[in-house]
Amino acid sequence: MAQQLQPTAANVYSIVFRVLFWGMVVSTSLFALGVFRALQHPVAIPLAPIPLLSFHATLHGLARLDPASLMLTATLLLILTPVVRVVLACIAFAVDRDPKFVAVTGIVLAVIVLTVVLGRLGLR
Amino acid sequence: MLFSLHFVSILFSIAVFAGFFGALLGVGGGIFIVPALVLVFHLPVKLAVAASLVSVIATSNAGGSSYVEQHITNLRLGMFLEVFTTIGALSGSVLALYLNEWLMLALFAGLLFYMSISAYVSRHHDDRQIAAGAYANASPDAWSRRLSLSGGYHDHALDRQVDYVVRGTGIGAFVSYLAGMASGLLGVGGGVLKVSAMNRSMNVPMKAAVGTSKMMIGVTAAVGSILFYLAGLIHFYVVAPVALGTTAGAELGTLVMNRLRSAVLKRIFAVLMLYLAYGMLVKALALRFHIILPSLGS
Repeated sequence: MAQQLQPTAANVYSIVFRVLFWGMVVSTSLFALGVFRALQHPVAIPLAPIPLLSFHATLHGLARLDPASLMLTATLLLILTPVVRVVLACIAFAVDRDPKFVAVTGIVLAVIVLTVVLGRLGLR
Repeated sequence: MLFSLHFVSILFSIAVFAGFFGALLGVGGGIFIVPALVLVFHLPVKLAVAASLVSVIATSNAGGSSYVEQHITNLRLGMFLEVFTTIGALSGSVLALYLNEWLMLALFAGLLFYMSISAYVSRHHDDRQIAAGAYANASPDAWSRRLSLSGGYHDHALDRQVDYVVRGTGIGAFVSYLAGMASGLLGVGGGVLKVSAMNRSMNVPMKAAVGTSKMMIGVTAAVGSILFYLAGLIHFYVVAPVALGTTAGAELGTLVMNRLRSAVLKRIFAVLMLYLAYGMLVKALALRFHIILPSLGS
């Protein structure tokens, strides 16, 4: 397959690989640091739904290496990695003038946006 | 439950195992993680599902990137089927927020039973198809032709190029929707359903199906994770050791996957799934009907 790829198709493979790889590296490092910090001062794990940390509080937490903020950022990065992968693939297909796959990846992105909207509306 | 070194070590070890087997079989590892969190750590099933979904993304990034690099993944096919898995994941995770705990456990047990039987029945399918050249000598259907979904990869275990013609996109799309729904509802990648549909109905060889599924489960699980995160159900202290373990396990699993034959793996997998299915069913029956069955150590 690799030998038969068009240059642009090979580019999509390369972009997807890089996004997935670096998403994994950064989130894994943050998780590892978060676990290390959390083990220094063990806390009880809550079993009920937890309130969301604000962006401001998370930034402050990151600055002082607060374990919850580190792990929250790692989780969000992890969730965002495949989303970014779809966005970049969509752009690569657009550059490649492949409207069918721009539409395909566009629908996936629309579902993700709809999920965020429903989540923010407070489905519980 | 305290976030101690003991807790982290056990959770991390289970997650390494789940990630390793997940990578070998094209599943997210959630089918091991959810039962472990429920049966070993006694976590509420919704928290277990939420934590498992995040770990599914981790295994997808780790395993998926490697399969993409080796060109085993069929990107066009994966992105086409993602349309259906993400819609399924959204409907499944919305449903999960409202469903009773015992029903989720019973559904999970049902999925495990199905996976066990499916893995055992299909254990020799792939080798026979490749040997007969059936993957390359098929006619594509209209959607497959229109979207250029067919592909090929180099199989290291067989030391040959395996080309294949994709067909059966209708059934593939439908099963992908169901797999997405299972993902959002039960915290799994839905990989077994997709791999089995791609392999048996869409004429995609097992390894290409595994690689493609591995990439797809990331964005599918991301949809469910977003909803669970916004509902406050993602607990970072549970997610972190699980994500670290599944990432490490998935990396190891991906290294050896393209060098192994699938029949032996599927047999081990079938037995393990049956065991976990029983454990989840025992818990569901006890919770809803107060029927106490022997637990077989789980």
